[in-house]
This record gives sequence, structure tokens and C-alpha cells, in this order.
Amino acid sequence: MSSIRREIYYVLIANKFGLVGFSIILAFALVAVFADHLAPYDPYEIVAPPYTPPNERFLLGTNDIGQDILSEFVYGARVSLYVGLTAPFIASLIGTMLGLVAGYLGGVVDEVVTGTVDVMLALPTLPLIIILAAYIGPSLNNIVLVLAFFGWSGFARIVRAQVLSLRERPYVEAARAVGASGFRIMVKHILPHVIPLIIANMVLSATSAILTEAGLSFLGLGDPIAKSWGQILRRAQVGHAFHQGLWLWVFVPGMGIALLGAGFTLLGIAIEERVNPRLRFSRK
Amino acid sequence: MLRYFLLSRLLRVFIVFFIIVLLNFLLPRAMPGDPASILANEYNLPADTVRILRSMWKLDRPLYEQFFAYLESLFTGQWGYSYKYYPRTVYELVMERLPWTLLLQGITSLTVSGLGIIMGILAGWRRGSKVDVSITVSAIVVYAIPYYWLALMLQYVFGYILKVFPVAHAVTPGLPHANFFEYALDTLWHLALPVTAVTLTAYASYTLVTRNSMVDVLEEDFIFVAKAKGLPERVVMKHAIRNALLPPLTMLAIRLGHIVGGAVITETVFSYPGVGYLIYESIIYKDYPVLNAAFFMLAITVIAANFAADLLYAVVDPRIRYVKRG
Repeated sequence: MSSIRREIYYVLIANKFGLVGFSIILAFALVAVFADHLAPYDPYEIVAPPYTPPNERFLLGTNDIGQDILSEFVYGARVSLYVGLTAPFIASLIGTMLGLVAGYLGGVVDEVVTGTVDVMLALPTLPLIIILAAYIGPSLNNIVLVLAFFGWSGFARIVRAQVLSLRERPYVEAARAVGASGFRIMVKHILPHVIPLIIANMVLSATSAILTEAGLSFLGLGDPIAKSWGQILRRAQVGHAFHQGLWLWVFVPGMGIALLGAGFTLLGIAIEERVNPRLRFSRK
Repeated sequence: MLRYFLLSRLLRVFIVFFIIVLLNFLLPRAMPGDPASILANEYNLPADTVRILRSMWKLDRPLYEQFFAYLESLFTGQWGYSYKYYPRTVYELVMERLPWTLLLQGITSLTVSGLGIIMGILAGWRRGSKVDVSITVSAIVVYAIPYYWLALMLQYVFGYILKVFPVAHAVTPGLPHANFFEYALDTLWHLALPVTAVTLTAYASYTLVTRNSMVDVLEEDFIFVAKAKGLPERVVMKHAIRNALLPPLTMLAIRLGHIVGGAVITETVFSYPGVGYLIYESIIYKDYPVLNAAFFMLAITVIAANFAADLLYAVVDPRIRYVKRG
């Protein structure tokens, strides 16, 4: 327990990147959790005439059908966080399992997994995600699944490389010598050493998941019911926000995406530095 | 060994190609209703037309026959007519859009990789210094900025308020150009905002990759020896850069493979008449022939670029040729 507390200290307190990144994520998480209390209005309710400029009742103004933009923004944090947490999580589950098995068993299994990973990494991801999202229908969970489908290969590659070197360690050999099963060695002896690396990459890939979901929503291929930041940007673009002089309508949701994305990247780098000290900032 | 390497890579690029083409074939057919009936709904087509479309696309035939017919039409360039721009052919449309996409994407590939690599080298070379921290932190922040958002904000500031740059199209519509020079100038003027938006947001990944690669290389023994020999910093840096460039150059090679797909979102934001905007339109209007053709081209260039990247690796780094897997 104390070792976990020490790790948390090094990543979240001692490392400035980690501290800033975690604070940003925490702030947005609070906004998402307490959206019902923080948002001044129901984001779906028409509360004022369309294109109301920002005033003290509607801090960011209202959109093209008269919904409060600030309330939309507050609820948007939920969508981005949901996508940023679930898509990398599912991707890491699939990737870790396949990487573990491929690295430990080797042989034909390894050939098949590595070959598939190579192919996945070479596919033009964004156009394929766009076309997939267009075909399978725009629901938030579909988008999460598509993102996970294109995201697992990176995890598999990293885990496999790690397992290849762990497999040869004396303690693994010792475990094998006393008759531990392959499954037991993989789960009890190898997996714990790979998990920190997986967490680092999970946090790092949250950024691209958030960006891709926002991009899809911006193109009109996202979940039309979910109030996401990309969706707000789309309405602003379609509703000619700039002609109305409502620049905050565009500025604020974009800042939300950028800040939350940067938060995940900073935290991810902090964890990665702890896990892989070769990347550390300070000179040795 | 070299032959094994080439063969395994060739096999891989063919699988990639096959998957893209297959997805493109299966997805529309896996949806409820076939392409013909979706079209019928979309455009209120009469039943006769739907029947003709079905037999034209062999939708009434077994799946494998459809697949061969589909492959045949792709490879022979018989891409058919666009639904949205009927009676124009898909080939005509794509070829008309391609130069614009190549121009926009060519320029941004240069600016993005150039800026990114230079920043990355500076940060990695002075690892841990203020220069490193400021370059890396700004790259991290910039990496998370959605480029279409930056594009919108640039449109607002430079297009709506200052009115110095156009916010849409590739050339001024309806403006007769006196000579080529004027035409080129108008084109560049329209490129200013899209190129700036993409460059300022996309350079970051090159910076981060180059920095980490530089940091790795600088810890190698040969750099230690070079310093110990008393070689001037400039020379040591040159040695390091040569070895650190491989990862970002691979990224660039792969990026080049994707450029015919256009920058879908950038082109959409600027109504730029490239392939990306065409893809967007064809998704919105369910213009399947156009989508098929665009993805076919994308598949070909993607595999070409991946293969080129593999060759680049093998040429630059001989170690790769002698191990079974890179």
C-alpha cells in the first residue's frame, strides 16, 4: 500500500506535469459529476430567443435554437470524459490480452497477432473511423467501440515487447521450474510489471480519443442527442456564430477540448516518465 | 534475409490494401437495406430505377460475384457516375479535386514536419533546459488543440474582424485572373489560413517524437566517444541528428501516403475543393461511387507509402534487414 502511495506522490505531487494534468482532469471531472447543479439551465430546454448575445443571465449567450450555451458546455464535459476514459480502457483490455499471449507463447500466435498489429497500424485511421461512424450509426457507444477497435493495436505492440524481455527473467524461469502454469505466470508474474506502462498509454491515448470524438461530432457524424463539445462547435459553425458576433460560442468549447486533452497528455507523460526513466527531463 | 524482409513487407501491404478495399465493399452491404434502396429513399427513386441499379451493381447476385465485379470496376477505372453531381463521372470529379488536395496537403506536410522536427531537435539537444521545457510543454498543449477549432478562430480574427484573409474556397470565385502569377497569388492567399491552422496544431507530434528520439541517440556510446574525442558541438549534433531523424521521417512517409484522402475536416471548414471535402459530401449525401473511388485511391497510396517507409528503414538502418522482424 505504501508503495502505491509513493508512486502517486511521485506522479501527482512531485512531478509538475502530473500535478497540472491531474488538476485539470479533476476540475473537469467535478464539472461533469455536478453538471446538474452547475449548469444554470437544462441544456435541451429553449430558454431564450435564438442568438441571444452573452449577458448576465446567459453568460455565453444562446445558440441558434435558443438553448443556453454555458449549460451545453457544462454537460459537454460528461461526453468528453466518458469517451476519453472508456475508449482507451476497452482498447487496453484487448491490446493487453493479445500482447500478453503473443509475447509469452510466441510461435504462430505471435506471428498472427504481430501481423494483425502491423496491418492495423498501417490503416488510415481517421477516414476509416469517419466512414465506420457514418455507416454504423451515430451513437456515443458506437463511437467508443470504433475508437477502441482502432486503438488496441498500439497497446498490443507495447505489451508484447515488454513481455518478450520479462519472459526471460530468472524469476519467471523459477516459476516455470516449480511448475506454475502458463496462465498463472502470465497473470501473476508478468502482468503486474506491464500494468504501469499500460496505464501510461491509456492516459496518453485519452487525448486522441477525445479529439476524434469531437472531430466526428463537429462533422455531424457524432451522437446527435449527446451534448458534446464537438456538437456545440458544429452548431456554431452551421449557425454562423461569427456572423452573429458570438465568438465565445466557438471559443469556449474548443478551449474545453484543448485543456482536457492537454491535461491527459501531461498526466500521461508524468506516468510514463516514472515508468520509463530514460525519458526524464532532468539530466542524470 | 533481405528477400525475406521484402516478401514479408509486401505481404503486409497487400493485406492492408485488401482490408481497406474489403471494408469499403462490406460496409454499405452490411447496413440495413442495400445501397440501391438507401438511394431510393434518399432521392425518391422510382422502382424501375432501383431495379436497374440492383442489376447494375449485381446486388441480386451472390456476394463473391459482387465482390469480383466491384474489384473489376475499381481497377479498370469504371467508377461510374456521382449521385450528387450527376451526370458528372466520379473519375472526373476526383481528378478535378485531387490537385487542390495535393497542393494543400503537400505544403502542410512540409511546414508541419519541418517546424516539428526542428523544434524537436532543439528540445532534445538541450534536454532538461528551459528551451526543452518550453518547447515540450507548448507542444503538449498544442497537440490537444482541435485544428478545426483553431481554423474557426483564425477565420474569425483574420476573416471576419480584420478581413485580410478569405475564409472559404481555393480561389476567389468568379474573379478573372489576368495571368498565371495573379492566379498563383490568389491561391496562396486562400491557403494562408488553412495552412497556418494545420501547421500550428499538427507540428507537435513531430516535435515530441523527434525530441525523444534525440534524447535516446544522445545517450548512445558513439556520441560519448565523439564528445570524448573533442569533436566540436556542431559535428556531434550532426551525428546525433542523422540517427535521430528516422522516426519522424517514417511519420512523414506515412503521412504522405494519406494525403490523397485529403484533410477531411480542414477542407470542410474552409469549403476547400479537395478530395477531403468530396469525401465529406459523399458521406452526407450517401454518394457511394465517389466514396468507393476515394477510398480506393487512398488504399493504393497508403500501401505505397508504407512500403516506401519500410524500404527507407532498411536502407538507413541496416540492422533491420538482418532481424526477422522490425
